[in-house]
Amino acid sequence: MGPLKLARMAWSNLWRQRRRTIITISSIAFACFLAVFMIGLNDGSWGPVIDTAARIGGGHVTVQHPDYQDKPALNRTVTGTGQLVERLRSVPHVSHVLPRIVGQAMLSTTSESMGAGFVAYDPAQEGPATLSILDAVSAGELFKTADDRGIILGWRLARNLGAELGTKVVYTLTDKKGEIVSGLARVSGLVRTNSPAVDLGLCFLPIGAVRRTLGYAPDEAVQVAVFVDNYRRSDEVAAAVKGVLDDKTTALTWKESQPDLDTFIIMKRGGGAFFSALILILCAAGIFNTLFVSVMERLREFGVLMAIGFNAGRLFGLVMLESLWLGLIGLVAGAILLAGPYYYLSTVGLDLTKAFAAGEQQADIAGVAMSMVVKMDLHHTSAIAIASIVMGATLLSGLYPAWKAGRVEPVESIKLV
Amino acid sequence: MTTTDSVPIVEVQGVKKVYRQGSLEVPALRGIDLTIQPGEFTAICGPSGSGKTTLLNLIGALDKPTAGSIKIEGKELGGMTRRQLSRLRRDRIGFVFQAYNLMPVLTAYENAEIVMAVQGVAAATRQQRVMALLAEVGLQGMEKRKPLELSGGQQQRVAIARAIAANPAVVLADEPTANVDSDTADKLLAMMEQLNKQRGVTFIFSTHDPKVMARAHRLLKLVDGAVASDERRAQPAV
Repeated sequence: MGPLKLARMAWSNLWRQRRRTIITISSIAFACFLAVFMIGLNDGSWGPVIDTAARIGGGHVTVQHPDYQDKPALNRTVTGTGQLVERLRSVPHVSHVLPRIVGQAMLSTTSESMGAGFVAYDPAQEGPATLSILDAVSAGELFKTADDRGIILGWRLARNLGAELGTKVVYTLTDKKGEIVSGLARVSGLVRTNSPAVDLGLCFLPIGAVRRTLGYAPDEAVQVAVFVDNYRRSDEVAAAVKGVLDDKTTALTWKESQPDLDTFIIMKRGGGAFFSALILILCAAGIFNTLFVSVMERLREFGVLMAIGFNAGRLFGLVMLESLWLGLIGLVAGAILLAGPYYYLSTVGLDLTKAFAAGEQQADIAGVAMSMVVKMDLHHTSAIAIASIVMGATLLSGLYPAWKAGRVEPVESIKLV
Repeated sequence: MTTTDSVPIVEVQGVKKVYRQGSLEVPALRGIDLTIQPGEFTAICGPSGSGKTTLLNLIGALDKPTAGSIKIEGKELGGMTRRQLSRLRRDRIGFVFQAYNLMPVLTAYENAEIVMAVQGVAAATRQQRVMALLAEVGLQGMEKRKPLELSGGQQQRVAIARAIAANPAVVLADEPTANVDSDTADKLLAMMEQLNKQRGVTFIFSTHDPKVMARAHRLLKLVDGAVASDERRAQPAV
């Protein structure tokens, strides 16, 4: 009996206890639904968070001085950024390459002094795609040139400094020689994000003004932020970027430059995977029960098949094909069940505004602002993983019942009524 | 139709079978000697518990004797592996059970062809042979019916077609008429007799039905696990 005929027989066997089969298929479909829901929302929410982190931090891949990560200081710089940017732009999957100066500054107004982080950027080169605050300016305006005399503050930072648009702010830095240097700017804009860490602790400066203050060369920066067309390619691009660097610079992926965020995502993904595994185990127990009961009910039949020439392997194959059918139908049913909700959640998304309404309507993850609308975006590798795990669990559940079927003694089982 | 000078289909020598029930030993067969030649139409009769089914199970390689030797077409079953026994049953032995035991999910056609399908016989050959057989057993036009859509007699006809479809050396039938009315039993027996005469199929069936015994060409009577009589008839009693 060929595999096709055996598969047809397995298919027919499945529908002998229609209700039981439908319940089992429903449980597989529901497990798929939950797994896709959890992992799809995960995939959909972490992508924007990582992209936002890259837009506030140093890109998906950060090129910087080899010692900067352990001992960040403004004397650990990258020089010759003009040529370096050109070389990095030729690396496949790189979308933007931008020099930046980042560090800590002391900000003072006539009434208050506070420490804050700063990002100095070139307004001619950067847009919302590379710097997230550019679409979060709630008052004032963006810098017009790299030598602009303005400073953009997080709105909470401005409030704590007692500053408003037009207020003079002195920013004090430590230059390459370790000397204290200062620059003067007027508040030209305020940003309001969903991240308390940004709104309270970050300011933005034009890169030309900061270079002058620090005594940097025109092609000198603390980092070169490299943006990738898809954050999942960060590792691959970082490896390629390292290939074009000399030993005075190194390249870090966002996971290395922002380990807090990476750890947080790993923990959340681990939690999601744990719950998915739990659902899958419960589902596998149901499938096992269906197949085992179905085998025990058909011992006599298996005995007859053994008597007329089936061998243990063929009976094992028959039951395994039944579990294969269960898994495949369950996956198809799961896909049908998911189609509508997936379309809605991937286009409209899940609006979390109300969930945060009672609080301060702001949320961040490891200091990175999180969008209030989470859209589902199941990556194809996650979809393949879910399908493979569901099929694997289904087939695994069928192993013992199939083995049991193959061990039937015809002379004993044919006696059964 | 009996040919006495060819290799016997079945040779049973000194076969004993003892079942254990806890510490108790229950002898089912107490030393059976039996030879069945190709083309024989043999009935094994005897009261309940006399060992008829046990003997058929042993000849059919479904069970192993406690002592003695069984050969099918000269091949000793004793040293065979599970796989070899399975192949022997598939290729050389046909089974007809009292309760028909057809696969409920398969049609009459599929049930009849299942052994050939397992053997790997080409689809066209299977179709030709099964259609002819189903017509021969009077089931033309019922090929697509499933067992539940057939009467008991019709199901047993399908079972007989299944048993002989792969041209086995011997067909073992355990009380083949026990679950059908006497009219249907007559028709089934007439059909088996016809298959025996026209195709030379060797039949061994167990029975305690006097009508069946009367049609047998050879009647073997078992009492308490031993052969009480072995009667050969030039012409059946009916």
